[in-house]
Amino acid sequence: MKPAPVERRAPTFARIVAGELRRGGRGARRVLAFCGLCTPWVVGALLLAPRLAAAQTAPAATNTCVACHTTQQDQRVATPAALFSGSDVHRENGFKCADCHGGNPAATDKARAHDPAQQFKGRPAGQAIVGTCARCHSDATFMRGFAPRQRVDQATEYAASVHGQQLAKGDHNVATCASCHGAHGIRRVSDAKSPVFPTNVANTCATCHADTTRMRGYKRPDGSPLPTQQFADFQKSVHYATLTKGHDLAAPTCNDCHGNHGAAPPGVGSVANVCGTCHAIFAQKFASSVHKDIFDKGCVECHSNHAVLKPSDDMLAATGHGVCATCHNADDKADKGAAAAVAMRSDIERLKTGIERSGALIGQIKKAGIEVSDQQLALREAGTKLTLARTEMHAFAPPQVASVVAEGDTIIAAVDKAGQNGVVELRYRRRGLFISLGAILFVVAAIGLKLRQIEQRTKN
Amino acid sequence: MNLGTWLDERLDLSGVRHFIAEKGVPVHTQKIWYYLGGMTLFLFGVQIFTGILLLLYYRPSASEAYESVQFIVTQVQFGWLIRNVHSWSANLLIGLAFAHFFSVFFLKSYRKPRELTWLSGILLLFLMLGFGFSGYLLPWDELAYFATKVGTGIAGAVPVVGHFTLRLLRGGDDVTGATLSRFYGLHVAILPAVTTALVALHLLFVQRQGMSVPLSIERKLKPGERLPQMRFFPNYILRDVLAWYVVLAVLAALAAFYPWELGTKADPFAVVPPGIRPEWYFLATFHTLKLLPSHVLGVEGEQLGVMAFGMAAVFLILVPFLDRRASRGEPSRLFTVLAALALVYLVTFTIIGHYAK
Repeated sequence: MKPAPVERRAPTFARIVAGELRRGGRGARRVLAFCGLCTPWVVGALLLAPRLAAAQTAPAATNTCVACHTTQQDQRVATPAALFSGSDVHRENGFKCADCHGGNPAATDKARAHDPAQQFKGRPAGQAIVGTCARCHSDATFMRGFAPRQRVDQATEYAASVHGQQLAKGDHNVATCASCHGAHGIRRVSDAKSPVFPTNVANTCATCHADTTRMRGYKRPDGSPLPTQQFADFQKSVHYATLTKGHDLAAPTCNDCHGNHGAAPPGVGSVANVCGTCHAIFAQKFASSVHKDIFDKGCVECHSNHAVLKPSDDMLAATGHGVCATCHNADDKADKGAAAAVAMRSDIERLKTGIERSGALIGQIKKAGIEVSDQQLALREAGTKLTLARTEMHAFAPPQVASVVAEGDTIIAAVDKAGQNGVVELRYRRRGLFISLGAILFVVAAIGLKLRQIEQRTKN
Repeated sequence: MNLGTWLDERLDLSGVRHFIAEKGVPVHTQKIWYYLGGMTLFLFGVQIFTGILLLLYYRPSASEAYESVQFIVTQVQFGWLIRNVHSWSANLLIGLAFAHFFSVFFLKSYRKPRELTWLSGILLLFLMLGFGFSGYLLPWDELAYFATKVGTGIAGAVPVVGHFTLRLLRGGDDVTGATLSRFYGLHVAILPAVTTALVALHLLFVQRQGMSVPLSIERKLKPGERLPQMRFFPNYILRDVLAWYVVLAVLAALAAFYPWELGTKADPFAVVPPGIRPEWYFLATFHTLKLLPSHVLGVEGEQLGVMAFGMAAVFLILVPFLDRRASRGEPSRLFTVLAALALVYLVTFTIIGHYAK
């Protein structure tokens, strides 16, 4: 139950005092005498007031609901009480069972505690769960006292979601607030143990969406059965690997594409926009491409949706396992798309091979002691050009890719030249060393001969 | 009139001529050790020569030091050679200085009347280590930066004056450009001046007292018997020069085939890279300190270690005065064992420290 707002009254005493003092005379003297008498009491009251107020607003020392429920043999009623007594964001903020379930938490017997006259509601279900949560979470004024930055439109979003729409139709099998956040023992979203913490979201969604029995009967807008392999697909994806193995919480999980409270499939036409939330430049290039109006499912056509694998250059091919081969035929000379794929791939491969070759050369002369930090920097720059070329490829315009690759080729040519100079320098150094060693050896031999000569002369 | 006569007329070099003509070096089975000192001296000369050349381009500031070394090895004609020779020569110099030190220790050449020669030699060894420590930071690369941080941190563990020493070395609480300036001043001005003076004194002692005959050989001589002598000039000097040329050949090969790598520029905000360790000649000390428990009998382990090394240094200085038997010309097995233990400890801990993670 939400606390009632406090009514404020006008300070009439101050007005009386001010009026008497303005008028002067006996009234004023009385006012001053009155003040002298009252001041110690007023000061004392002011000092005590915060403590008294705190005592009034503090949570009740005993919560008979928890005390009684935790002792029950029936786990259906004991477990929620135990969970609520543990880590629960609501209990930690001073809320009690009665705030959601109603009833009288001060009563010591079940009949009075569960008295319907005390708004006892028992266990909310379906829409009642949403309503119970929304009473506070949709009230901006109330939430400001606890989490001022938290959004308060979850219930509105939920109503627009597939879950909310199904619930409105009377389907009580769909997820409500408690299905994802839990009903008792609710943790903050930032808590790694929360079922809606980024690394746990997919598992939480999979609880229902990977359950074939539960999903039976649900259909997609095109009438086909709702699939249940999304979680298995997602586990193969680069996103899942980044999130769970790379520990990068910025990597997307279910709610980043589908929304959380307003969960729904992004819709065929919106896929590129959804992917573009993170992959902005790719989306921009794709938007300018010939494929924009041809690909019904946008990015998904080549990259899949849940099972987004780590992309490779092999995808850009109109033969074999190349994704272009799905629509294009490299054997067909009139197929412009296939020709474009071949042109872009050959440009990218040329730059890639150039970087590898130059890298090996630079590595070789570095190992021999030539300073190559400038060349290493240039190679990194060439690597950036390769990445840019791969990005540019999403516009599916070979001249644009060729232009970026040409910049990379120029860098590689300069690195190659420096590398060749390094090889020449190395040969020069070694030649110099052997000449120096020869000279040293000559002097050593000369000294040795001289010594022998001197010592023989001394002996004689 | 030749130059010698011209000088002789003005300076009367008869004393010097007499000294050169008369000076001899004892010939015996252990005479090979005599050359270590000369080789160390030669490398000190190489260091001065290459160091002066490096000074022409080196810039001692945190923002320019690394780039200036990079410039030396990439743009300056033979800059790479000068830097490589300087770096390798520094390491060979310390290695030979240690070898010279142990040869003198084992042969008991420190005994009366050569206490002062030993004392100046030990101080020179410490100065060489100081050269190595201060020079290591000068390229301002990542490894050197963090190793200096650790090294100066160890100096901070010295009881009573530790914090003062740390701040004195670093020029503040942390290793910064101020540390680089101090190390530069130390490396190119203070240490060379002191070392040159001490080297002159060391050589003066050696020349004045002549080469020491190992105790074991001296004891075998009959009363009044004298070891055969080799003329200092030109016989010994030519042998010395021959040894120098061999060192020069080794130095050239090392500089050409194993160039001294210049790592990445030091970044004080970077995460400490793995495998931070000092130069090989500090590895034994560093690894010992690493192995010490955090507290020993209520005293901080590192502090105890630093105190122990300090006492060992004092002990080394006092060796000629403590080894009374050697002074009397009697066999001194205890000090031979101590020298052997010190050698085994240094070699073992340097190897362990090198491979330790």
